Amino acid sequence: MNLPGLAVRNIYRNPVRLALTVAGVAVALLTFVTLRTAVMSWDEAKNYTLKDRLVTRHKITFVMDLPKNYADDVRDLKGADGKPLIRASTFLNWFGGKDPAHENDFFATIAADHNTFLTVYDEIKIPDDQLKAFNETRNGAVVGDLLATKFNWKVGDNITLESPIYGLRENGEPWTFKIVGLYSTTSKAVDRQTFYFRWDYMNDGVRAEAKDRVGWIASRSVDAAHAAEVTAAIDKRFDDADTQTLTQDEASFFQGFMGMVSSVLAIMSYLSYIILAILGLILANAISMSVRERTNEYASMKAIGFHAKTLASLILTESTLIALAGAIPGVILSYLIVDVALGDFLEYNLANFFPVFRVKIWTYAEAVAAATVIGLFAGIVPALTVARLNVVENLRRVA
Amino acid sequence: MSAEQSKSVGSAISIKGVVKEFTRGGQTLRVLNSLDLEVPEGSFEALMGPSGSGKSTLLNLIAGLDKPTSGEITVAGARLDRMSDAEITSWRAANVGIVFQSYNLLPVLTALENVELPLLLHKMTSAERKKRAQIALEIVGLSDRMGHYPRMLSGGQEQRVAIARAIVNDPKVIIGDEPTGDLDRNSADEILKLFEQLNRELGKTIIMVTHDPEAAERATVIRRLNKGVLA
Repeated sequence: MNLPGLAVRNIYRNPVRLALTVAGVAVALLTFVTLRTAVMSWDEAKNYTLKDRLVTRHKITFVMDLPKNYADDVRDLKGADGKPLIRASTFLNWFGGKDPAHENDFFATIAADHNTFLTVYDEIKIPDDQLKAFNETRNGAVVGDLLATKFNWKVGDNITLESPIYGLRENGEPWTFKIVGLYSTTSKAVDRQTFYFRWDYMNDGVRAEAKDRVGWIASRSVDAAHAAEVTAAIDKRFDDADTQTLTQDEASFFQGFMGMVSSVLAIMSYLSYIILAILGLILANAISMSVRERTNEYASMKAIGFHAKTLASLILTESTLIALAGAIPGVILSYLIVDVALGDFLEYNLANFFPVFRVKIWTYAEAVAAATVIGLFAGIVPALTVARLNVVENLRRVA
Repeated sequence: MSAEQSKSVGSAISIKGVVKEFTRGGQTLRVLNSLDLEVPEGSFEALMGPSGSGKSTLLNLIAGLDKPTSGEITVAGARLDRMSDAEITSWRAANVGIVFQSYNLLPVLTALENVELPLLLHKMTSAERKKRAQIALEIVGLSDRMGHYPRMLSGGQEQRVAIARAIVNDPKVIIGDEPTGDLDRNSADEILKLFEQLNRELGKTIIMVTHDPEAAERATVIRRLNKGVLA
């Protein structure tokens, strides 16, 4: 028998309280790990973007469009030495389409210039025969393989979408598309649940004032190392025009586009620390109750000759051990629920937001370290109480 | 060391002019009033007196659990009134064994482990601790109950474990605060026999507070305290 052994014995005194405290710690850590993983996964999404891929949009807001001829100007941009700055460019529009058959399921619908799209987004892979069909079919669409699986769409299917942005086609007909291909991707930066269709088909159908307008221009700089200078050069090109632009690398554009979500994630980040505070309160309460019930024992131990610091260490050891006892199932639960179940689900269904939703080893370490430190802190007040315990008063209370 | 030898050495406890005052609700209450006491080494003394006479206060001062307002207290050669709290705690671990009325054993430890507890404060191997605890339990007649938890023992047996815990460090002085107060007559007799044995055979100085005249009769000296003064 030794003092750490005594701390362990004390932990098991009240099995029900121990089980509830351990469960509380485990659930708190599971929540902490989930929130941290969501925040980190979001941050990680930008790591999958390409540094040389630039996005040019209206300077004021993403919602406002640009003249189509800007795409040509961007493509032809040259440096001071007369060499091209851009090696490929394309233009796209957010269509905001919805499938009436899947009213509540969101998926991105984007009109893309079929001639140049894949030169900029070369991670998107479409079988040759399907790409040929896309080029030959004006209302052709290529959809992500995951989206096709989700809605049970096949090549050859005709799909009608509604667009709250563009309404019906100019001739009063609905927007009908023919799925001519399914794409996959070699990069996690590209969502596998997007519905791409030909920009010229959209341009044919929109009202006169919306024709030859593009939502944004995506381009690839010749030299990724000088992408920042190229973004400045693009915006400078349109400085004196009626419509000015804002060009960003893909990561910045992505984050700006999802600004609202970023705010939610910032709140989630704060929440994760609030969860830790709650964890501290759970532990502090359990330890305080346990110590209060044993005041007479500590008084008699002091009477026997145990120093205040020894008893305080005993209590701190106990509170830290309880925290660790909760941290272990917390980590196991986090692995099973966040890493395995939730990770698979989110990577499949929300790949563009959470391309990799897996708990990092660092997050596990952070959770265990946080539990340990909080366990230690939770024991401080009871430890100080026992350290200052008046032996005579407390022994008299027992007698 | 025999009792006769130890008695010839001098005082185990020497108290000179001790005053102890408590402040309650803004009023100062003098519990011990210029008290003098000499307890020779190897004696077995009972301290009696009505409730509120100050006997427990005196016992706490002798055990180093409390400090006097003024006066000198020397126990086992150490001036307690001059020592810091930490010094007294260390001194207590080596020189005093305390037996409480309500035993105060740790319920999560076996009898053997409870007796081992004070030895954790000293540098010794686990095997040595265990051996000394076993010897202490044999002395109190509980060698067959070493693995029992307090809840498995009778009140008398629990108090004997507490006595084993008090003597395991081989202290010079044993202090008993109503050690038979929670026990029936037979169990109390066994405890008192044990005290007599520790005093007679091991030469321990024992000072015991009791309300029980029969228990007090077993001591070699009976002192009576009244209103903070020894009669």
